[in-house]
Amino acid sequence: MKTRFQEENNDYVMYFEGRLDTAVSPVVEKELQPLHECEGHDIILDCTKLEYISSSGLRLFLGVLKNAKAKGSKVFIKGINDDIRNVFAMTGFINLFLFK
Amino acid sequence: MQAEQEQYYMESFKKLNQSVATRTKLCRSITLTNDIQQLSLLNEFVDSVCEAIGFDASITMQMNLAIEEAVVNVMNYAYPAGSIGDIHIEVHADDQRLTFTITDSGTPFDPTIKEEADTTLSAEERPVGGLGIHLVRHLMTSVSYERTNGKNILTLCKNLNSN
Repeated sequence: MKTRFQEENNDYVMYFEGRLDTAVSPVVEKELQPLHECEGHDIILDCTKLEYISSSGLRLFLGVLKNAKAKGSKVFIKGINDDIRNVFAMTGFINLFLFK
Repeated sequence: MQAEQEQYYMESFKKLNQSVATRTKLCRSITLTNDIQQLSLLNEFVDSVCEAIGFDASITMQMNLAIEEAVVNVMNYAYPAGSIGDIHIEVHADDQRLTFTITDSGTPFDPTIKEEADTTLSAEERPVGGLGIHLVRHLMTSVSYERTNGKNILTLCKNLNSN
């Protein structure tokens, strides 16, 4: 599992690559730190190369969303594949996030 | 010429029988400890089972997700923090269904009595936990728990004919 943070056109973009399972989620949680102070920036979680996500990963995404909403920022999910979209549908996450 | 053809049919019949045999009866198991880092072994195990059955990538991902959620629950709650315990996972498959049986010797714990997660809540209202067993329920055809001889036995079934 790899993540990469980048600021692009005033958006905070986090790229995910690989398998976001329970074993790696504590490390990934630390790597999401740059998204915390997001006042004045929208957040894009780029999942184009995300192969797998379990509930611990969803929990991290929800944490990002809760924090961003409290600070007036929007959170977009970009590029999820059909299998992961299905997991988002099953958990109702599809209604919580914006998609690009 | 005819003998050759007969031979050919016999060979393909044998091959077909073998593939039916592997398809109709599959039984494998793995024993892990309650160490979350062993999830990669579980993932390899589930991948190999799904490959042997001939599942596509989508259903393989769904099985991985259901089994990970169920096993993580056991890893987190069955044994007291700091102690090491075994988790045994057994898979049976036949033409009708795929059955995962997850067994541990920890404290009695029935994840199936957990309340259904409310997936209609807003981001602000949603609790951060409780999605694991929700996913297991939605991905599998049935989930059942029993406590037998001091062991927790969680059985996850997936009907193969009606995904």
